[in-house]
Amino acid sequence: MITIFQDVALIVIGLAGGLAVGSGLVAFITVLDIIPRLSQIIKGREYLVAFQYSLVFGTVIFTLLDFRSIALQLPGIITILVGVYAGTFIGMLAAALTEVLNVLPILAKRLNMAEAILFLLMAMIFGKITGSLFNWLIFIDY
Amino acid sequence: MNSNIAYLSLREKQYFKPNSEITLGQIAQIIAPKKYEKSLHQLKIYQVLPQEHLVVIDFMKIISMIKNKFPDIEVYTIGNQEIILEIVNSPVPKKPNLLAVVFVWILLFIGSGLAIMNFHYDVSMLDVHQRLYYLVTGQEKAKPLLLQIPYSLGIGLGMILFFNHLFKKKINEEPSPLEVEMFLYQKNLDQYVLANENEDKKNKQNNRNEGQ
Repeated sequence: MITIFQDVALIVIGLAGGLAVGSGLVAFITVLDIIPRLSQIIKGREYLVAFQYSLVFGTVIFTLLDFRSIALQLPGIITILVGVYAGTFIGMLAAALTEVLNVLPILAKRLNMAEAILFLLMAMIFGKITGSLFNWLIFIDY
Repeated sequence: MNSNIAYLSLREKQYFKPNSEITLGQIAQIIAPKKYEKSLHQLKIYQVLPQEHLVVIDFMKIISMIKNKFPDIEVYTIGNQEIILEIVNSPVPKKPNLLAVVFVWILLFIGSGLAIMNFHYDVSMLDVHQRLYYLVTGQEKAKPLLLQIPYSLGIGLGMILFFNHLFKKKINEEPSPLEVEMFLYQKNLDQYVLANENEDKKNKQNNRNEGQ
């Protein structure tokens, strides 16, 4: 009897926790406007619903794989693809964060750099790439 | 029937040179009876002082000036209630200082590199990469570089995608978030100027009028 009670309690707690985390994740990604941005770029607003499902399935499937420690046993070369996709997503995340978006207009206006703004954007992009590579190739050994 | 009606609509922000004389035709669109049209266009509204950067002119001032000169015109206003005049030396914006640009470039370069490393440690990205590598290949690896190098390049790709710029070339015609952000920033500045400068200028104007 007590174990059934415990199981029910665990299920309720798990479900509640999952609901909170899941809606939090979706809210976070929504706030950053990444899905609208992507569908704008590929001119595919009608697939918005499909993209939402891809987000949901991605979250659920990776959670399952992670929690159950299910290794897919694929060749290592596949991780290149995974890496590019993961990096692109993080890159969009980083670009969408307001720090980047707020700094540039101020630079353009205050420091008279409206003409150089694209050039400065490149600095940020190369900075991120270099920082990340430095992180994994060199910094990690120290 | 009263046919002496003038319809006025203020333009958006306008740029002028220092010391220029501003006439109504330069800052507003005017629909008025033929006999008044030309003189309304040439009605002097404001004389820019040498040290001024921003001038706000509101409709009430314009109406009172028109009423002074042409008492029998009835003025109707459409659209914006005030206009911002920005006084710039030359119509082309100043060229940025190359040294300053280089300085800011390095600042942003190192800053964003540091920021991404901070982020990686914040979210334990290394653990996640090792875990992801294991989930895909079934092998444990302390340094899953096969995943991490493409990941690093992907970050750049993602940022370029987000900003819609492949260096100078645009991916499609819609404005990028950066352009929208610049526009919003400028709009906020203008709104601030309208809210504050207006009061300032009114006081200054009064002082000036008293001095004359």
